[in-house]
Formats: sequence, C-alpha cells, structure tokens
Amino acid sequence: MDKKYLEEIEPGFSPLTIVEEASRCLLCLDAPCSKACPAGTNPDRFIRSVRFRNFKGAAEIVRENNALGAICARVCPTEKYCQKGCSRSGIDRPIDIGRIQRYITDFEENTKMKILASGKRNGKSVGIVGSGPAGLEAAYMLNKLGYDVTIYDKEKVAGGMLNFIPEYRLPNRVVVNEIKRLKDLGIKFELGVSVGVDLPLNELKSRHNAVILGVGYSYGKMLPAFEGNRNVILAVDLLKKIKARKGNVKLPENILVIGGGDVAMDVNTSLKLLDVNHVTDVVYEKFSEFKASKKELEGAQALGVTIIDGYVPEKVKGKTVTFKHREIDATIKVKADKIILAVGQRPDVTGLGVELVKGEVNEGTPYVTKDPKVFVAGDIANSKYDKTVVGSVRTGKEVALKVDEAIRSGRAK
Amino acid sequence: MINKDLSITFLGVKFPNPFCLSSSPVGNCYDMCKKAYQVGWGGVVFKTIGPKSYFIDEVSPRFDKLNKENTPFVGFKNMEQIAEHTLEENLRDLRKLKEEFPNQVLIASIMGNDEQTWEDLARMVTEAGADMIEMNLSCPQMTSHAMGSDVGTNPELCKKYCQAVKRGSSLPMMAKMTPNITDMVPVALACLEGGADGIAAINTIKSICNIDLDKKIGLPIVDGKSSISGYSGKAVKPVALRFIQQMRQDKRLKDVQISGIGGIETWEDAAEFILVGSRTLQVTTAIMQYGYRIVEDLKNGLMHYMEEQHVEHLEELVGLANKNIIPAENLNRDYIVRPEFDLDACVHCGRCYISCYDGGHQAIVWDEVNRTPSVNKDKCVGCLLCGHVCPVSAISKGEITIKPGRKQDPKKIRL
Repeated sequence: MDKKYLEEIEPGFSPLTIVEEASRCLLCLDAPCSKACPAGTNPDRFIRSVRFRNFKGAAEIVRENNALGAICARVCPTEKYCQKGCSRSGIDRPIDIGRIQRYITDFEENTKMKILASGKRNGKSVGIVGSGPAGLEAAYMLNKLGYDVTIYDKEKVAGGMLNFIPEYRLPNRVVVNEIKRLKDLGIKFELGVSVGVDLPLNELKSRHNAVILGVGYSYGKMLPAFEGNRNVILAVDLLKKIKARKGNVKLPENILVIGGGDVAMDVNTSLKLLDVNHVTDVVYEKFSEFKASKKELEGAQALGVTIIDGYVPEKVKGKTVTFKHREIDATIKVKADKIILAVGQRPDVTGLGVELVKGEVNEGTPYVTKDPKVFVAGDIANSKYDKTVVGSVRTGKEVALKVDEAIRSGRAK
Repeated sequence: MINKDLSITFLGVKFPNPFCLSSSPVGNCYDMCKKAYQVGWGGVVFKTIGPKSYFIDEVSPRFDKLNKENTPFVGFKNMEQIAEHTLEENLRDLRKLKEEFPNQVLIASIMGNDEQTWEDLARMVTEAGADMIEMNLSCPQMTSHAMGSDVGTNPELCKKYCQAVKRGSSLPMMAKMTPNITDMVPVALACLEGGADGIAAINTIKSICNIDLDKKIGLPIVDGKSSISGYSGKAVKPVALRFIQQMRQDKRLKDVQISGIGGIETWEDAAEFILVGSRTLQVTTAIMQYGYRIVEDLKNGLMHYMEEQHVEHLEELVGLANKNIIPAENLNRDYIVRPEFDLDACVHCGRCYISCYDGGHQAIVWDEVNRTPSVNKDKCVGCLLCGHVCPVSAISKGEITIKPGRKQDPKKIRL
C-alpha cells in the first residue's frame, strides 16, 4: 500500500514559516477570528503569543480553551469560521490560523507540556454517553468543575466520529494523545458498552448525578433505491474501516461515490490516496451550493476525482446507476465496481429515552431533555452550531455548564 | 536599462561609482577584491593591514545577528579583527589588484600600534600602489588597547598618528571614526589637524547582540564566554546618519569630505548617506549576507533616483539634506497636523486605535460596528503615531491647525 494515505496531506509550519505567518497577522483590536471561533479557542490571543515568541503561552491558550485543540487545528473548516473575517484578507489572504494552531499543539506535544488540570473534587459525578468531540469536551469541562466523569461508548475505541476522519487529515495518534490527556486528568472510559442496549439508561442514572447523551450521527443514511444492493457501502463505514486498518483495505479499480458533503470529499480523497484509479463522484448540489468545504473539494479535484454536480440518482441496477440532471434534460449512467453512499448520517438513540425531531432533541431549550437528569450534546443537540467537530466542542462546553447549574441547583440529583 | 554617470571625486581621486567595500571580512584577499571589482564596485577598502609585530589570532565562531520577527540581520555583530594574512601577502595582493584594475579605486586600510608602525605601514601601502589610505582608528574588538576604538576616542593620539601617516605617505588619507563616543567632532577635527584629508564614518558600535538564556552567555559563545564587539547592519544606519550630520553641521567641518558607512543595503540607504554629505559609500554587512551582487541594484537604483531628481552628476546631491536638519529648538512648533483616514484602504484592524490609546493621546474613536477609526480633534495632538502603525499606509497627514495665539498661515506650512 502506498503511504500517502497515512501522511498528513498538508505540511505543517516549520520554525521559520510559523514566524513568517504570525508576522503577517495584523494583531487586530477586535479580532474577528476570535469572535468567530465556535469553540472559543481564542486565535487572536495565541497568534499574538507566537508573534512575541511565547510558544508555551500559546499552547496554554489553545489547550485551556479547547481540550481538542490539536484535532480542531487539523479538521476545522477555518474558512467558515476564524479565517472568514480575518482583517488580513483586506491586504492579501487570511492568516492560516488552523496551521498555526497545529504548530502550537505539536509544540505542546513534542515538549510534553502538561497544561490541563482538574478542579477541586465536589463529590458528584456525571456519565457521558458517546466519546466523540462533544462528550470529550464536556468531560474536560466537568472535570475542571470538580465532577468525576465516566464516558461510555459502544465502540471499543474512544473518539466517536473522530475515528471516521481520514488519517491524512487527522492522524490517529493525535486523537489518541488528546484522549490520553483527558485520561490523565482522571476521566474514566468504559468502552464497548452500548448504553440503552447492554447497559440500561436507568442504571447509568443511578450511578451518576447527571447523564449527557453525546451520541453522534454515526450511522450512514441509505437511499431506498440502493437498499439491499450488495455493491453499496455506506461512506462512514468505509472511512472507519480504512482508518482502523491504516489504509490496508482491498479496493476495486472503479468506484462511484454519491454525495457532496465533507464526508463524500473524505471518501474521494481517501480513495485517490489509496490509488483507486477511477473515482467518480456524482452530487445532487451544484458547485455553487456545495456543502463540502472548498479546501476539501479542491483537494479531491486536484487528486483527479471526477466530480459531477447537479445530478440525482434515478435508477439502480446492480453496479449501474442512472442519474438525471435536476434541471436540464440530461442523463448519465455510471457503472462501477462499488457504490459509496455519502448522503448524510443519522444517530441511533435506541433505549436512551429521547425522541428525535429532524435528528435532534428539541425541548425548546438547548441541551435539556424531558428528564431533568438527562442532557444532550453534539449532533443531536438542538443548538445553533454546525454539526462539525468544532460545533460539537462548543455544545460540549455549553452542556457542561448546563449540567453544573442543574446539579448545583438541585434539579438533577 | 538606464545608464548614468555615477562617478564622483573624493579626496582628489575619481571613483567610477561611490560604492566601496569597507575594510572588513569582505575585502580580505586578492580573490575577493577581484570579484568585487568585476561585479562593479567602484572601490575597495582592503581589509586593515596591521604591523608585522601584531599577531592576529581570531576566535571561532565570531558572529551573531539580531532578528526581528522573520527578518534576520536587523543587526550584525562581528568579533573579527584586522587582516590575518602576513604583511607580505597583503602588500602583494594590493600590488596585483592595482595592476589588474587600474581604473577602480584601491584604498589601503592600515592600523599601527605606535607612530613608527603607522608611518611604516603608510609607506609600504603607498609603494604597493594604493590610491588612498584609510586609517582604522576605530575597530572595537582589538585585543590591544593601543589599537582600534580606544585610540579613536582620544583626539590627541589620533592627531599624532595622522601626522605619522602623513610622514610616511603623500596619498590622500581619510580617518575612520568610532561611534563609541558622544561627540565625534573633536576627534574628526584632531585628525584633520594631523593631516587627514577626509573622514570615514562610522565604524561598528560596541554591542552585545543576544544572550543564550540557558547558558547565560553572550553570543557567539567562545569556550563558555563571549565579549563585547562591533555591531553593524541596517540597525546602525540612523546612528551613522546622525554622526555624519553632526560633523557636517559643525562649521569647522562643513566642507569635510566624508565616506559614509553604516547599514547601507539599498540605493535608498545610499542616497540618504549622500544627502547628509557622503561622497563615497562603504558596505560590509549587506555583502556578508547577500554577496557582492547587491551593487547592481545599488547602482541601478541610484541612477534612477538621479533621473527622478533631474541630476546629472552625483555630486549635486551631496549634502542636500544637511540644511534641513536643524536643532530641535528651531523647529516650527506653532501648528498641529492631524491624521486623515483613507477608509477605502483601511483593513479595519484597529491598530491605530490601540497605539493611540496606549502610546498616544486616546484621540482615536473606534466605531465598533463598522470597525473604523476617526479622530477626536480635541484630544489629538498630531503626533501621527497612528500613521506609523497602520499596516496599509491608510493614514496620512490631514488638516493643519494653528495653535491658539500663534500667527501662521497654514497654507505656507510645508508638510
């Protein structure tokens, strides 16, 4: 197997280029970058620390504000957040904030800094279902507030959706290190336990003063026309498998991908990096309305993925899919060895006692459920944040404060 | 490509252009000087030749540099002393260079340790064919207190040594000044009294560039220790211009011919040295960083500047700024010029606001919604710090206000 999939596709900054990039920053008065970061990582403050050669201070700012700082540095669609309003764009192009953050967190890792600290124990405990970004950030926050935290996950490996993000974008070691920092704080992980199936929610409620459901959209969606087709694989399943096996997956020569979000781009790019000859991605949205980040789209195209926009699958017969254009009279027929469906994900809340409306628990107020002891975070929370890693981190922060408030006020016991 | 006559006469010697290597590591031997001449330098000040009895023994390593953000060589520190080749080798090189490059100027830099050695060295370099002598009275890193900048701060000693050199040679001679002194004028005057024909300024500034924070030793580290030594490069340009101006504004020195030295990297730096009164220019640090090739842009850029200034002879530019640099008490203090913001060019970073508040007079009003600055006229004192911090030069000099009770015509004020 080619090693391309296992190497970070974007090179990091060097000691020279980090200083160059930080010098480009205008060090704004009312930095738009910090206002735009959902996780509150405070980029203007850590870039200023780099500018004044205080790398350790920069690492403290990133880490204390975002327990998943090294992950967000790599996977955050910064073009939509911190970099969007960057004042430097008025001169040429925004500061590459993600990469600066990555340099800082790599520095933190390489110099073995220990930044995170637990708060004074308060004798209370919180159980968190799901070890994805929302659960991890909530755990860090609650630990800092003095709670004993246990994270439960149905998978044997912690990380949730983070384990679906391809290695070239998010190396597994980064996730492992991030989780280790939390374990070092005393946060416990019970893995391979499916709450609501193996372990009743009531049992969890009796163990803890409060429970947070941080289950993500970890299952791929199926389209009716493809149901039962042996040639179809759901995108998230494929991505997870490729990552778990470090790219050692047998793949055919010709693969059709259906979907135009970031997950579809992850599939496209992974397949190309694994030397699949023909990768054809047919997308419902037109380029002008694309959901995937521009960077990921361009990355996939640069690797030679054929992306066709504006088509809907009409007919499926074995390995052949017929698509029709949404507006004009045009039809295309693609025959491939495998068909990857990347048309969205869904959660599974079996046995968790919550009802979903459009994939979210909606009780009017974000993060709460009908049960005063049970809270929700991440993808299934009805928050104003995107269903991205950074959005989930934010919900993790907010739900932690909500839980703390509920326990301290006696609403949750 | 533009081609203008850059020649200039300095101390009676005609230079094809004003750009010379200064006496330093960049003019250390025949091969180096040959290459410099070939690339187009107008003159070479060959690395200082010392007395036979003085043993040159250099340290390793011997340089350090000051960085700022991603700019290295803001300033440069050098511990090297004078030429380490034998006297015979140096004289042979001088002879060979003069033979092969008769039209480019060869200046011998010398440094004695008593009157006799100064005189002898002057005689020897004259016999070797040098066109001019430069007396090095200013190297700050000599291992003998009878040599270098310790001599250059003592007017009497300088005068005596100048007289000695004049006894040994009838060549035009310039004395190279140390900036490690409050006032250079008494030393320059003493040198002229001793027979010097012109002045070269400045030599390097005594410095400590950096300290190794773990080892607690200055840099560069020489077996666990370091020393104070000469600082050069762009960072010293303001100090050099000031010393040259101060000499030129002393009426006893107003016509003295000067070879300007100190942080010249670009044609703009060169033009500044000329405008404060330099006739020739000497360069080292920029060559150490970038090589002899920088002379191409120094020359070409200076030609374009002459064209823009409608000047046919470089000489016409010499000293034009001297009369415009006057004592602070003579400046017009009757008006305030306030900033004008070009909001189309503004990138809304708010740096002007920060600097005005923290380093000025809290006179910029920040519109938080539109992220734009404006000036509070009652508070603004017209310092224009804001204009200096603006990354896109969107702040310029705007409205002029005459201070209350002063009689001035705002239209006649030259901004």
